Amino acid sequence: MATTSAPVTAEIPAPRPLARRRARPGDAVFHAAVLGALLIALAALAWLLVSVVTKGASALTWDFLTSRTSSRASRAGFLNALKGSVVLMMITIAVAVPLGFAAATYLEKFAPLSRDELRVISRRRRRALADRRAAGTIGGIRLLVARLGVAFSALWARIGPPLTTFVEINLSNLAAVPSIIYGLLGLALFVQIMGISKSLLAGGLTLAVLVLPIIIIASREAIRAVPRSIEQGAMALGATRWQAVRRQVLPAALPGMLTGTILAMSRAIGETAPLVVVGGVAFGTALPSLNPLNAADEPLYAMPLQIYTWVDQPQQGVWGPKAAAGIIVLLVTLVVMNLVAIWLRNRFTRRW
Amino acid sequence: MTTEPLPPAGLRARRFRPAEQGVVLLLAAAATVSVLVAVGIVFTLVEEGAGFWGSVSPWDFFTGTEWFPVDRVYGVLPLLSASVTIAVLAAIVAVPIGIGSAIYLSEYAGERTRRIVKPILELLAGMPTIVLGFFALESVTPALQDIGILGRDQLYNALSAGIVVGLLIVPLIASLSEDAFRAVPAAMREGAYGLGATRRVVATRIVFPAALSGVMASIVLALSRAIGETMAVTLAAGTQPNFTADPTEPMQTITAVIVAVSKGEATRGTELYESIFAIGLVLFAVTMLINIAAVALVRRFRTVYL
Repeated sequence: MATTSAPVTAEIPAPRPLARRRARPGDAVFHAAVLGALLIALAALAWLLVSVVTKGASALTWDFLTSRTSSRASRAGFLNALKGSVVLMMITIAVAVPLGFAAATYLEKFAPLSRDELRVISRRRRRALADRRAAGTIGGIRLLVARLGVAFSALWARIGPPLTTFVEINLSNLAAVPSIIYGLLGLALFVQIMGISKSLLAGGLTLAVLVLPIIIIASREAIRAVPRSIEQGAMALGATRWQAVRRQVLPAALPGMLTGTILAMSRAIGETAPLVVVGGVAFGTALPSLNPLNAADEPLYAMPLQIYTWVDQPQQGVWGPKAAAGIIVLLVTLVVMNLVAIWLRNRFTRRW
Repeated sequence: MTTEPLPPAGLRARRFRPAEQGVVLLLAAAATVSVLVAVGIVFTLVEEGAGFWGSVSPWDFFTGTEWFPVDRVYGVLPLLSASVTIAVLAAIVAVPIGIGSAIYLSEYAGERTRRIVKPILELLAGMPTIVLGFFALESVTPALQDIGILGRDQLYNALSAGIVVGLLIVPLIASLSEDAFRAVPAAMREGAYGLGATRRVVATRIVFPAALSGVMASIVLALSRAIGETMAVTLAAGTQPNFTADPTEPMQTITAVIVAVSKGEATRGTELYESIFAIGLVLFAVTMLINIAAVALVRRFRTVYL
């Protein structure tokens, strides 16, 4: 007891002062390297734009935009290509947008969601059928129909979910198929099998098939971004699923779907390869009409096709500036479309 | 057995609405169109090219080192090797630039820089390939001639095609890799910083290994894009089938042959017409295999962080 516990004074070493971070040459080099990588990419883009503009600026006149194409470089204009591209876009939108939006709506809101969910539905139907038979309220042809319904829902629970998975994998694969393969599809299907001439119509249909997977994927994302509670709220108030989707979900998702559509169109408007394969390179200088109903008889003109024809000419000294001027017009169109898409996204997208 | 009571009068069973069922069926029909497109692609490639396999033996086709349709010599190897050579050149250009940009954007750049730079990179990604072909022919090839890599007389070559296709796939690699880097949880970075790691160490030892599967997938997808690329290689690499790996030589890829033949309006039923569907089938199979490999890669090596 007397042994007073003398406070043990241990020798606590004074903490080493935190070493100031040494400048490591490796860090600075790495930083410079990754920044350099980004700058190289941006510089290449700048080089591309500058070289196109310096080559094409002199040829980009009002006459160039308003005169038809010609076999003489001094007179060749871009009007055929402009009109052709407008008609192509009209056909592509008219075909791909309704199909794409409908497919996206189905896949996102009506396609079999999960096997369990479907099994529950099928079991519930079977029980309801048994109940009503026991209560004697069902017979004859109605019984047959009800039994068919039960059988169908049981079958759907089995094949529906794998089918949806298959369609989804299929979509992402389609988006990665090279565009020239779509050209071969268009050539075989529209031109050879269906007998449409090598025209704006065949080209527009090919581009529609090309952008369909892109539109579906983008629209699905836009629909998915609308919270389920919106739809559930509508259904709780008595709306059917279709009413809820039609009146609540789709209007909310529309800006996103349109943004995706514009981006898909900006892909379509620059595509060259499928059009070359479907339509060859147009000869002659007749101007196509802007009426899409005549498209089956109009030769296939489009901005990228016209540029390709000009780049492919032997005397690049005279044709090069024409091609560059065409590229400027095409790039301005693309930038405008992208700006509209960005504006639409920022203006109308709601945060939930 | 007692039956369950029927629902109270207020809650009627939902009425069957035939019009709505009809609408849903229409929507489902639209969804099946996408499947039909895939079926149509395979069907047309096989069916239109069917006659070709009858007249040209598959063995000669897959092992032939010469493509010379005028003499009815169809060997796919020079075309395939050209496609692969240009894709590899593109990857050599694009992988360092793309991954470097992705590391900079995700680990070094501030929010504002990223907001400005990403749309610009997307502009590069959306560049029509005809523009890149023009750029290769009019700017890249002359520049390569000026610095002496190419001779003055070498207008068409695989190298400038590879460089511009590389530029095309840089944004693809950069944006997919950046997504993968940003998916790495912040806690892992902070743990490393807490132990005194510098940004370089965090980027190379923590973030990069953790995101490796995503980075690999982005490279593989970019390769598939490069192999299917058409206009830039048609314009820049020339229209001369050539079984070589020398990047300064002109080459003709699978896609370039398809363009060259269809420009000349081959009529249906001729061997030449059928040949573009046959090589189209090869191209389709190669890109599909690469895409499947990408998906498998992600699934196999993905690390899930909770």
